[in-house]
Amino acid sequence: MAHRDEEGSIGTSMHGVTAKEHVFSFSVQGEDGLSSHSVQSDDPTAEFALPVDSEHKAKVFKPLSFAKPHMRAFHLGWISFFTCFISTFAAAPLVPIIRDNLDLTKTDIGNAGVASVSGAIFSRLAIGAVCDLLGARYGTAFLLMLSAPAVFSMSFVADAGGYLSVRFMIGFCLATFVSCSYWTSVMFTGKIIGLVNGCAGGWGDMGGGVTQLLMPMVFHVIKVAGATPFTAWRIAFFVPGFLQVIIGILVLTLGQDLPDGNLSTLQKKGDVSKDKLTKVFWYALRNYRTYVLFILYGFSMGIEMTINNVISEYFFDRFQLKLHTAGMIAASFGMSNFFARPIGGFASDMSARFFGMRGRLWTLWILQTSGGLFCVWLGRATSLPIAILSMMLFSFGVQAACGAIFGIVPFVSRRSLGIISGLTGAGGNFGSGLTQLAFFSSSRFHTADGLSLIGVTAMIFTLLVAFIHFPQWGSMFLGPTSDGRQSKEEHYYAAEWTEAEKLQGLHEGSLKFAENSRSERGKKAATDGASTPLENDNPADV
Amino acid sequence: MAIHKIFFASLLICLLFQISHGATKERLFSDLEKGALEVTATPSREGVLDAGIDKLSITWKLSSTATKEAEFTTIKVKLCYAPVSQVDRPWRKTENELFKDKSCPHKIITRPYDKSPQSFEYTLERDIPTGTYFVRAYAVDAKGHEVAFGQSTDEAKSTKLFSVQAISGRHKSLDIASVCFSVFSVLALLVFFVNEKRKAKIEQSK
Repeated sequence: MAHRDEEGSIGTSMHGVTAKEHVFSFSVQGEDGLSSHSVQSDDPTAEFALPVDSEHKAKVFKPLSFAKPHMRAFHLGWISFFTCFISTFAAAPLVPIIRDNLDLTKTDIGNAGVASVSGAIFSRLAIGAVCDLLGARYGTAFLLMLSAPAVFSMSFVADAGGYLSVRFMIGFCLATFVSCSYWTSVMFTGKIIGLVNGCAGGWGDMGGGVTQLLMPMVFHVIKVAGATPFTAWRIAFFVPGFLQVIIGILVLTLGQDLPDGNLSTLQKKGDVSKDKLTKVFWYALRNYRTYVLFILYGFSMGIEMTINNVISEYFFDRFQLKLHTAGMIAASFGMSNFFARPIGGFASDMSARFFGMRGRLWTLWILQTSGGLFCVWLGRATSLPIAILSMMLFSFGVQAACGAIFGIVPFVSRRSLGIISGLTGAGGNFGSGLTQLAFFSSSRFHTADGLSLIGVTAMIFTLLVAFIHFPQWGSMFLGPTSDGRQSKEEHYYAAEWTEAEKLQGLHEGSLKFAENSRSERGKKAATDGASTPLENDNPADV
Repeated sequence: MAIHKIFFASLLICLLFQISHGATKERLFSDLEKGALEVTATPSREGVLDAGIDKLSITWKLSSTATKEAEFTTIKVKLCYAPVSQVDRPWRKTENELFKDKSCPHKIITRPYDKSPQSFEYTLERDIPTGTYFVRAYAVDAKGHEVAFGQSTDEAKSTKLFSVQAISGRHKSLDIASVCFSVFSVLALLVFFVNEKRKAKIEQSK
């Protein structure tokens, strides 16, 4: 059986095409080595609108395109997440009306704020596994369409307890963040994943800003149409509810799980092997980097979500602003996500081009620490212009840091990508709940002091970035290991599979990924890739 | 020496800012003439009043102890929160600085000042929250600044208070719509899921 490609150059590995490869019990390529979905040497990539790598992941990012399957997945993903952010924080700008209708106290409002971000701690953990098992489309659609009833049920709420429960249940849908970044991670290649995830995450996070403008506007229109305020706010919640259902249906009809097709189809054909949930979880928990990322994200995304809940009230009280002025300032905090987070992802990708993974780690540390610094300044600011300036700089630093973290997450594991995305995302919600509880739910701290304190704690915890070390690429202060075997990307990613599993060829996907991840060596990748032959567990006849 | 001059100059500028800032903002509640108006507020029935339905019969007239009567141009009558309804609710806080004070947000009526006793039948608005209240009438001068007031309760805000129960804001039609859309959402998801599993099975058997 002739194989067309003999040089083994980057991006064109032909596992399963030559007779010298392993024979798989779950055939990755079909019985005769070629199936309609397998990689033919130069043809199948032509059926994609964008240039792709060996895993059929897109190598370029064209935000204005809706081409199947890559760009469509991107747009459906971030819009789903955007819609869920709108729903989760929809109550915040309407609190002045809701607190009068339900006779809420400050404690009630604070607790509901904590509840609104707590639900997602658990759902973000679960959704990674769901995506691994059912595919990104159903992961997303489940969240959208099963939490829509919670949004609609705001019409039933009569007291503080009901309000808290409903906000808690709506908050579960924030797990769309994980399903979205999972979806983009399977659709886009490592070199650009920082930028892609940054855009998806940033444009999704914008929902937290847009809702501060959208909900009051919808409320006002409904009031003008004749409803009394205490009914109008309930009707207003139907808008995010409808959006969720509509986007959910679009995801299922227009989207595709993987570049080559939908998961259930590919699994039944034997093109994608099913993995065991317990194994996937185990390899995520075994990896110490998971825990570091959990904490780091808690102090970037976590404090961003806390600010979404408290900043409008802060400006209203401290500077005696009108409610809609405070709302506009609060909205601009969330809206700066539009460019801040993509820039963070882009900066991560750029630094990786020159310095590899070490560059990504330094970029993250710089962005997150400066975010914390500006947060301290925001708490200290006594004049409105300085407060707004420090808030915008703070928003940029912390949101760009979020983008930079997700430039790193896809490389921590290939087998457990879903769970680790989920755990990192859960860390964000955990950080938000924790900071709200510690600094903003009691009268122990003035809000201004609370802000400075979260800035300080963020800067301290960001020092943990120094502990993220990859044997094949290094860390902030250490270079890659000099051990010849351990310094290969394949070794790191293949280590997630047992020998028995490797014999079955289940690790083929990880090997493909490892090869594509060689770009994380930085400038050296260009020279390394051309001279060394492809490393495989069995020596191939080149 | 130049440094000292700059420092002193900046200090002076800051001070000027403070003074000018304070001058326009610091009209205090404690400066107003107390008890200039005699105000009564009588609920239409006993017990907790229902917003949107029950009424208050409000009267106000000039008190014999009033001294600033010449300045009165307009009377603003407002519904104010009693202390018990302000607990753990900083957005209803009583502040001495008038522009910061948030304890009387609900306007009842504004009328030009008239020497004769005035009265007004006020139907509790449907956006009045649940709480305990009293009525206060501010006497406002031609510049729009409050100069005096009178209220239906005593200075400690403990007597002659009345309670209001807000409307729930819920409607049966809203509840039904909510249930319908929720059911649709869940069903649609299930239909898609089952359908796709079926199609995949068919593919596999081919």
